[in-house]
Amino acid sequence: MRKISTLLFGLLLLLSFCSQPQRVPDEVRVRFSADPETLNPVNYSDAGAIQIINLLFHSLLSVDLESDGLKPALAASMPQVERKDSLTYFTYTLRKEAEWASGAPVTAEDVAFTLKVLKAPLVNNESIKPQVEFIQDIILDKEDPRKFTLLCKGYAPEMELLTGDFFILPAYLFDPAGLLKSVSVRTLSSGSAEPDNNGRIKAFAERFNSTESAKSKEMLQGSGGYLLDSWVPGQYITLKRKESWWGKELGNEAAHLTANPARISFQIIPDNTTALLALKNHQLDVLENIAVAEFRQLQQDKSFLEEYTLHTPNGYEFVYAGLNSRLPKFSDKRTRQAIAHLLDVNSLISVVQQSQATPTVGIVPPSVKKFYNSELTPYKHNVQKAKQLLAAAGWKQEKDGWYKNISGTKEKLTIDIVHRAGSTGYQNSALIFQQSAAKAGIPVTIQALDGSYLSQRIGSHEFDMFFRALSGNPFAFNFKPLLHTSAAGLDGFNTTGFGNAQTDKLLDAINAARTDEEKALHLKKLQQIMQEEATLIPLYYLKERIAIHKRFTNTKVSGLEPNYDVSAFLLKN
Amino acid sequence: MPGYLFKRLVLVLPMLWLIASLFFLLSRLLPQGLGAGNILKGDEQYSKGSKESRERSYRQYLHKTQQDLPLFYFSIHARAEPDTLYRVYPESERLHLRRLAWKYGNWPLVSAYYSGVKQAHTLAAQQDQLQPHFEALHTSTVAPAILAAASSIAEADQENAFQTAILLRNAKRMVEHRQDYLGLLPTLSWNGSKNQYHNWLTEVLQGNFGTSYRDHRAVPAILAEAIGNTFWLLILSMAISVVLAFELSILMVRQKGRKWRRLFLPVLFLTDSIPTFVLALLLLVLLASPAFLQLFPVYGMGYYSPAGLPWHESLARQVQFMALPVLCLTLANLPYLTNQVYRSLATTGNEDYTRTARAKGLSETRIIRKHMLRNAWLPIITLLSDFLPALVAGALIIETIFAIPGVGRLLLTAVQARDYPVMMGIVVIVALFKMLSHLVADALYSLADPRIRYTSS
Amino acid sequence: MNRFLSDIVRIWQLRWAFRLALIYLFLFLLLVILLPWLPLSFQPNDLDLGQAFQPPFQWANVTSATPLHWLGTDALGRDVLSNTLFGARTAVLISLPVMLATTVIGLVLGTAAGFYADSSGKISRASFSGILLSVPVFLYFGMYVPSQAFLLKLPPAVLLLSMGIAILAPFILMKVLVPALKRATFFTKQVPFPADQVVLRLIEVFTSIPRLVIILVLASFMPPSVVLLSFILVLTYWTDTARLTRAETLRVKQLPYFEAAVSAGASTGGLLMRHALPNILAPVIVSFIFGLAGLLALESTLSFLGIGVPAELVSWGRTIAGIRANTSAWWLVVFPGGFLALTVLALQTCSYYILNAMQHHSP
Repeated sequence: MRKISTLLFGLLLLLSFCSQPQRVPDEVRVRFSADPETLNPVNYSDAGAIQIINLLFHSLLSVDLESDGLKPALAASMPQVERKDSLTYFTYTLRKEAEWASGAPVTAEDVAFTLKVLKAPLVNNESIKPQVEFIQDIILDKEDPRKFTLLCKGYAPEMELLTGDFFILPAYLFDPAGLLKSVSVRTLSSGSAEPDNNGRIKAFAERFNSTESAKSKEMLQGSGGYLLDSWVPGQYITLKRKESWWGKELGNEAAHLTANPARISFQIIPDNTTALLALKNHQLDVLENIAVAEFRQLQQDKSFLEEYTLHTPNGYEFVYAGLNSRLPKFSDKRTRQAIAHLLDVNSLISVVQQSQATPTVGIVPPSVKKFYNSELTPYKHNVQKAKQLLAAAGWKQEKDGWYKNISGTKEKLTIDIVHRAGSTGYQNSALIFQQSAAKAGIPVTIQALDGSYLSQRIGSHEFDMFFRALSGNPFAFNFKPLLHTSAAGLDGFNTTGFGNAQTDKLLDAINAARTDEEKALHLKKLQQIMQEEATLIPLYYLKERIAIHKRFTNTKVSGLEPNYDVSAFLLKN
Repeated sequence: MPGYLFKRLVLVLPMLWLIASLFFLLSRLLPQGLGAGNILKGDEQYSKGSKESRERSYRQYLHKTQQDLPLFYFSIHARAEPDTLYRVYPESERLHLRRLAWKYGNWPLVSAYYSGVKQAHTLAAQQDQLQPHFEALHTSTVAPAILAAASSIAEADQENAFQTAILLRNAKRMVEHRQDYLGLLPTLSWNGSKNQYHNWLTEVLQGNFGTSYRDHRAVPAILAEAIGNTFWLLILSMAISVVLAFELSILMVRQKGRKWRRLFLPVLFLTDSIPTFVLALLLLVLLASPAFLQLFPVYGMGYYSPAGLPWHESLARQVQFMALPVLCLTLANLPYLTNQVYRSLATTGNEDYTRTARAKGLSETRIIRKHMLRNAWLPIITLLSDFLPALVAGALIIETIFAIPGVGRLLLTAVQARDYPVMMGIVVIVALFKMLSHLVADALYSLADPRIRYTSS
Repeated sequence: MNRFLSDIVRIWQLRWAFRLALIYLFLFLLLVILLPWLPLSFQPNDLDLGQAFQPPFQWANVTSATPLHWLGTDALGRDVLSNTLFGARTAVLISLPVMLATTVIGLVLGTAAGFYADSSGKISRASFSGILLSVPVFLYFGMYVPSQAFLLKLPPAVLLLSMGIAILAPFILMKVLVPALKRATFFTKQVPFPADQVVLRLIEVFTSIPRLVIILVLASFMPPSVVLLSFILVLTYWTDTARLTRAETLRVKQLPYFEAAVSAGASTGGLLMRHALPNILAPVIVSFIFGLAGLLALESTLSFLGIGVPAELVSWGRTIAGIRANTSAWWLVVFPGGFLALTVLALQTCSYYILNAMQHHSP
């Protein structure tokens, strides 16, 4: 026994002399909380995958995190937009320098091929297919092999963004046999691929869907500045810089296309506390989504701040409480306003988010000043006011709560909050609301539900109130899918049942607006109506919480995903 | 005895099939919701694609993964429910139809009513003042509410008087002809061999365990990788805990062991009452953070190491990464194990043969090791045999905190993403190891105590 | 029983540690009973948003208006002291019954499996068919219909009716069908009932299906509640005890004195109670106490896995889980954890001495 313990102890001592893992200075280490499900440039589904694929492939347009603006990536310039009747034409020209890993130029044929892959049946493309459904055809320019026009159905403000938002694939690599050559984008769009093409599509789909395209280094070679070096599932994914890359020669005009670090490695660490310790241990260079309480302490930790910089850009994630306005008990908007007055947003921000969030009057982020309605003020926490509103809405306070006669039956005002299980933030928000509702005499119950069960409950309109978040961006403000009454049915995106004919017109007007002023006018009106209706009660816009090692400059920290541009990182001299 | 074991061994396969089939059916009860495949997810402010096209995509996905087929060869369901209901999409509508069917017990009338609702709603989609009534018809199953909503619609919507009249008539007929409890009786309907279970079973019988819905890799490869990641970790920590548990127990069970007992037992109980994740965090904070002692790397399994490292150096690197998880697992397992071993040793200390051995003047160590240990084996075998399946089942919390991609996490993520092939694979392999370990345990029982006999009748 | 009591009195006189542990447990019970009447400044679910993450013993902050949070507060300013005290209540009212139920089920099934093995339990073919028929009827009316009734929001009458059928139908089957069948000679023949095989297979099935899946499946029919959680725990925890008990029974059954008792014609019940049980108890009690310790902090682990636990359930586990949001808030672990450890230690000390005493009696 004693021998064993001495042995063990000796071993431990020996280990302690082993050094920490070696570091290469020109390598950026980033933490991921989970493996991307796939790196397939067509069927990706999570933010991590998008970040990595962005380093391997390019889309036509991309977001420059330095200015938070949309810039041409593979395209030489922003597209020419032409609207004719019910159709919209987007004409792009590709950069002449752009080339694939093999040195072959990127042509319009590759774009056409990509569209076919995105639209073909049987291919694993379900998550992106709906996103390009509005693109009906591609017209290749007869003279310029780099010029093409995308023919789109209807018009919506986010279309420009979406026409440039898919990764362009090299046809020579993904379809060497030319199986999709004879299939046209138009037939795939109409959903009627001719029978004699079916065999080819099937053969292509089988090859494409097989493991090869998702994980092999040979397939994941695009126009980007990086190549996949290794992927050990659950542990790390490393990328290495291409030895010669066309983007290097572009100069200032395309300063947002970069490939600076020689090596980028994404480390998979599921647990937040572990990740934070790894950061303090210098095993990581970049860590985002740091828990609020820990972030607070890091901000005061001098020795930590000597080595890392902390950033808190304003994010675009909108956290809100949704009320089911279809329920008879919530159908009066004064009842909903009363509930809004019971949500103590300031306490929520200071306690749940440790002040790392910005209050907002509505769905437009306060950081987008031109569209934000600064004339409104957020609902104030006010129990008395809430009680008055309830009384005005016809509720009568009795000993154990509020009662009202609704179509002949006496109904009690109770609120059942649902939120996703495992989310402490929502749970704490619900508890804070529960306490303040109790002061007003409204009993509140809280249920934490598994993610998919939660969407089922919300989809079938079986809820009173929920806490949720919406991710957004500063480019497109099209709320039609989210707030239009046509989306209010079962499983629709308009989960709260917001809207009427007037707001539907307003939503259309926002989309039809040709100038920013006009758009701002309508958006501000929408914010005002939404506040009055109080079906979506805004809580706050989150601030991102990121730490980056000080040896890097040019980190391009931004509120937009992925919150920093790892390809731009430069070593300080 | 060999006959008995052989019989048990033969039973393993059918049992495995039974467990796999049970789990197959049970896992499909998981709420599918709309989260599947991230296709229908609506948590973005501007939508990428309309609801209809997303739904189309979702159904294509279900079709491709054969999730749109009936589950089993036959289905037993309440009489009120038709056997073709699984074809109805979206799922919320299916749920509502089921509610109506169970409540009113008369499927033809329910279906006539609901199609009436849909037709009238399409015609009146633009009329704002009718929407609350239609919402009631789409979500409520209460008779007065349905009738009230239907008659308000019939009154208000003069444009489509014909449709709304039909709607009202159908609603009334459904309510009047309700069959309250008869619908509860079970019926059996035959689905034929075009079902999910049949497809799965035929694939498995051909040796094809499927591919993950998420990354399309073969399930056995995924499993092998995950088990491989935690195998050495688990086996090492188990070996250490077993050896320590025995040595500690022997130390404590001696005549002079009282002071050890006083020291170890409370300490072990204290360790045990710390939840595993707190223990793991504690170790990390104490042994892998610059604030205290920075002895070990925080996470992972060793970053890519330069090729051509001599084996002992690469081993040393590995050991460095494994030290904390092993320590944590050992601390978590040790208290229970030690207590059980000590308890069974102590029990044998009072038995006749021990007294005889003592009377013969044998040394105490010899008595403990030769006589008592042999007789204390039974409960210990039971405990140890549980370690074998744990080897493949992984240790979720340790895996999560130390960022080791093992089976525990694989199962968690597979369940969250409803990745059925991976779930099936894990359950089958864990069940297989479990049965084998039970078998081995039974064999060992009779080796440890030859008096235990199994009859093979 | 008398012998047991006199044992306890004897240990009480001899061992101060036992005395201490017993007094502690008594005080613990007293606390649990009297807790609602104690003059605490804060209720466990009261939020104090201005005072989140207060460290313990902040004497300086005391004013007459705001009472002191003696042991600090958690992320929402809930008082750690009152949560620790009320957590003890939850421990007694939930964890203890759950663990008792698990142990009893495990003990019964395990002894049955070990004692009857595969051949010594005999049953007539008529009863066997009766059981075979009852199982699906019970599953349909007792499990399927109620679960659907929850999911489809049917009136409670449906639930009652189907539960009634689920209980009545097997009863009628056994009382009416079985005697009727027994008239035919084929059905009167006694066949061995494979108790051991059945229990072993049940254990394999229950341990092979991941608890997470069971929880999620059940949670999709009914909201996460304390009752549901306890039900799942009982359903999945009994297997360990059953296996331990089975192995011990197998051993005890072969001991000479047991065989002597059998040949002396002792009744089955007497055999089990007087001869088997005392021998089996030691490992079972150890596993009981360890199981309890695990259960007491279970909510912290469940919330770690993202499984829904009712937010209002006051428990040690909930407070401990708070450490994940803020690793420097040590008081969230130390106080409830310390209380938990003390309780387990006291239980362990008691069981240790009682087991020792029992061993001196067993032959």
